Amino acid sequence: MNPTVAAASVIAAALAVGLASIGPGIGQGNAAGQAVEGIARQPEAEGKIRGTLILSLAFMESLTIYGLVVALILLFANPFA
Amino acid sequence: MNSTDETSQLTELVDEATTLEESSVKSSDNSMGEYQQLKQELFLTTLAIAAVAFPTVVYFYGWRIAGNYLLGAVAGVVYLRLLARDVDRLGTETMKLSFNRQALVIVLMLVAAKWNQLQILPVFLGFLTYKAASIVYLVRILSISD
Repeated sequence: MNPTVAAASVIAAALAVGLASIGPGIGQGNAAGQAVEGIARQPEAEGKIRGTLILSLAFMESLTIYGLVVALILLFANPFA
Repeated sequence: MNSTDETSQLTELVDEATTLEESSVKSSDNSMGEYQQLKQELFLTTLAIAAVAFPTVVYFYGWRIAGNYLLGAVAGVVYLRLLARDVDRLGTETMKLSFNRQALVIVLMLVAAKWNQLQILPVFLGFLTYKAASIVYLVRILSISD
């Protein structure tokens, strides 16, 4: 592999994972914290809160996964190599 | 006010509190039942979509790509199980979400990238089957509430 392409791919992979994990990380932390707080306030709504949390976590985490997949492709199956 | 009146008032209050607590426990049970139902529905919908998509992929792209898709779909179901287990534990056994799920994705994508028999795109699209299931669920809920 061309050294310039290799270096650019490694930097791009690092940026992809790093940037893609900031937003969902903050979002997941907020969502989980608010859900626990909500369950403590309203134990009778626990199921609904957990149901909403599982769906929102599934959607949020897929954003991180997109970045992760792009990074892994750049590192291990680079189309520009 | 004599002591008999006070005693009867206290008894009424205790009865009221007991009734409120019982109704709260009942509504909590109902809501947890809904949650269990949601989890079951997500798993079953994921399996149903995979069961429909697998023969379609076999028909259009052949057995090898379909196998890749199936591997991704199975990983998606496992991922969903891990997510549900994590949400179950949240607030009771632990206060944070675990990293196991991302590790599953990393291993899957590494194997897909390194092993010649596998291709990344069908594995990844198979993995995203769980997301299709959650979108189906949301659309169904929204259409019911409208």
